[in-house]
Amino acid sequence: MIRLDDREIPWRSGMTVADLLESVEKAERYAVVRVNGHYVSRPHFAATRIPDEAEIRLIPMIAGG
Amino acid sequence: MPSLSFSELASLDYRRPEIEKGYANQTLYVNLSELALSVKPVTEEMQRIFVGGRGFDLWLLWQAVDETTRWSDPENALCISSGPMGGTPAYPGSGKSEVATLSPLTGSVMDSNVGGYFGPYLKFSGFDSLEIQGKRATDTVLFIDGIDAKIQLLETAGLPNNAYALTNMLTQHFAAGKPRSISVVTTGPGAKNTRFGCLNFSWYDAKRKCARYKQAGRGGVGTVFADKGLRAIVARWEPVALDSNRPADKQTLKKVARLHSQEVVQLDPKQNEMARVGTTHLVPIMNDFDLLPTHNFRYGQDSRASLIGRDVFKKLFDPGFDGCWMGCTVACSHGVRDFVPLTGPYKGQKVFVDGPEYETIAGCGSNIGVFDPFTIMELNFYCDAYGLDTISVGTSIAFVMECFELGLIDAQHTGGMELRFGNRLAALELVHQMAAGEGFGRIVGQGVRRMKALFAEKFGVDALALQDIGMEAKGLEFSEYMTKESLAQQGGYGLALKGPQHDEAWLIFLDMVHNFMPTFEQKAEALHWFPMFRTWFGLCGLCKLPWNDIVPEDNADTPEPAKVMKHVRWYAQYFTAVTGRKAAPDDLIAMSEAVYNFQRIFNLRMGYGTRAHDKLPYRAMGPVTEDEYTSRQERYDKQLREKHGVDITGKSTAEKLALLRRFREQQYEELTDAVYRRRGWTADGIPTIATVRRLGIDFPEVLAVLAKHGVTA
Ligand code: SF4
Repeated sequence: MIRLDDREIPWRSGMTVADLLESVEKAERYAVVRVNGHYVSRPHFAATRIPDEAEIRLIPMIAGG
Repeated sequence: MPSLSFSELASLDYRRPEIEKGYANQTLYVNLSELALSVKPVTEEMQRIFVGGRGFDLWLLWQAVDETTRWSDPENALCISSGPMGGTPAYPGSGKSEVATLSPLTGSVMDSNVGGYFGPYLKFSGFDSLEIQGKRATDTVLFIDGIDAKIQLLETAGLPNNAYALTNMLTQHFAAGKPRSISVVTTGPGAKNTRFGCLNFSWYDAKRKCARYKQAGRGGVGTVFADKGLRAIVARWEPVALDSNRPADKQTLKKVARLHSQEVVQLDPKQNEMARVGTTHLVPIMNDFDLLPTHNFRYGQDSRASLIGRDVFKKLFDPGFDGCWMGCTVACSHGVRDFVPLTGPYKGQKVFVDGPEYETIAGCGSNIGVFDPFTIMELNFYCDAYGLDTISVGTSIAFVMECFELGLIDAQHTGGMELRFGNRLAALELVHQMAAGEGFGRIVGQGVRRMKALFAEKFGVDALALQDIGMEAKGLEFSEYMTKESLAQQGGYGLALKGPQHDEAWLIFLDMVHNFMPTFEQKAEALHWFPMFRTWFGLCGLCKLPWNDIVPEDNADTPEPAKVMKHVRWYAQYFTAVTGRKAAPDDLIAMSEAVYNFQRIFNLRMGYGTRAHDKLPYRAMGPVTEDEYTSRQERYDKQLREKHGVDITGKSTAEKLALLRRFREQQYEELTDAVYRRRGWTADGIPTIATVRRLGIDFPEVLAVLAKHGVTA
């Protein structure tokens, strides 16, 4: 099981951030997520595996400077 | 060093007015040459049109100077203001000070905003703004004692040379046992010896028992301060409460402040954790999207970026509640305790480093090829202590490093320094030299624009090559974002009033990553709305971070997520609750538009403010060198083929580079046209008569400036 914001989602072996976002509505809004406290940006979604029990946050990144 | 002494040059006892709906309704005028101190009223018109903060600064500065005034003339005024909401302790981000003056870098109007307690303490002491003209040859301190309602100009001797020691010493000296009642504005020796001196604005950190500071960094405001003979301005005030501004509607203020404050507390941990890591989260994100400047803005990515990113600084920052104004729940002003510099006057001693923030990490790190957090912290510490802007320092060092790597300058010019990217000891040495006004650092401290001219004239370097890679516009060094792939952000930098600083428009992520504004018209609309709304924070004495760095959970479902309209509505309510002046979100934009256009016309009056001054170096728009092209060849080839319909078969890199350049330069011109149209300006970038009439800034002197430039009814 992994936690995505405040919900629980079943974990699959080999699951990537890109896989996870397929189950998220309007996932294109998220260019950055935090997996166990570490930032992962869109260019790395497909290559980043999610470990079981991971805590994931979708970051609504629209500002910075 | 002589022993510490203060002797009074002039003083003024004054009647401290009650604050009324966020305004003291008077300003403090100081003339250092004449040793004159006086109080000026704030008119109803000044409040209505200029609102406060940066608006007041600009109006005072406009009256103080004329079109012949240069930054170092005694007539140049240094203005510092709070704003009507400045000093509200419950609403996040309500303690900013706004500084404006004529800049040693650009020759025109500069504005810079900064945290720390000074602006609110100035206002609660009885003054919406402080305006300083004149100069003194000897060290001078201005003391604004709001508690005893007395202003003093003091001649001093025996003060420490650098801002770090000076701020702590003056805090203790004037505190009368209550250091939290003191805020000090200081700079250091680098401000006098360069053109990009910064100002440090302090607050007392009761937990760590030391004075902390934030910087009004951009455009050499500290250089003007030092040139006037000022060593420090000290404000003394207590207490601060929600009532201190005597808001028009305290109940609404309380309600809206609580809503925003609680939202920050609830959502920041789920979003960017700024209360823990400040703005350092931007480093890995910018790097992943090819937006982190490395090697003088050549590239946007480096495999070593993780060494200077959020995860590292999360460990280095001293945990604690670090707001740069009371009650700011974003609390992003972090620092590093017990840091021990390897070089300079504090070598081997434990110091507290205020920062680093993203801009310093990118400017004094990746952009000069340094991926070592300790060097970045040391550069950060010394820049603040010496009174140097970390952004201009970083971008200027990056420029000379590239010149050195390209063989445009050599060790004979640099005093023997091997100025290669990544040479961290050389970077530190340059900063020490800038502070002392010695060696090659003295030249670097003149900023990129003057170095370009000097290298061409004195060292015989090709001026066009320097123009392409020298990252300045209007004379101001670029802040630290890569704009090559974001036309909107190119406009955000090039069409900004004071020069390429991101506080006016930070569109890079919205444009490049989210593709929120695919057409020219959408980009132009964004380059209207965002600079206007961001200007509004500066009018009110507010920090913009709580607006859009933490966003409501349902923000993405709103029609315009980039504007975070829920917060904009809260800001309109906040404004009305304090000032009693009815305002809806559109009114906030209209207020800013008046001040924004006035500032554009101020630029025009000073000999700038036209299209010719809105140009960018090509490095900001696209690849300058073949290396840059080939490093992202797939991207550029694709754009030539698909976007511009070019058959690139058989074309050399040099040919493709030239073609791409032509397209991109043309795009920038088209964007400029679209933005000028949207802003109600002529094709030369001058506000039209209809625009100034609509905005209520059609004063005779404004119309006279326009007429002088051929803009008439
Ligand atoms: S958000 Fe950060 S910079 Fe802005 S006022 Fe709060 S602590 Fe200061």
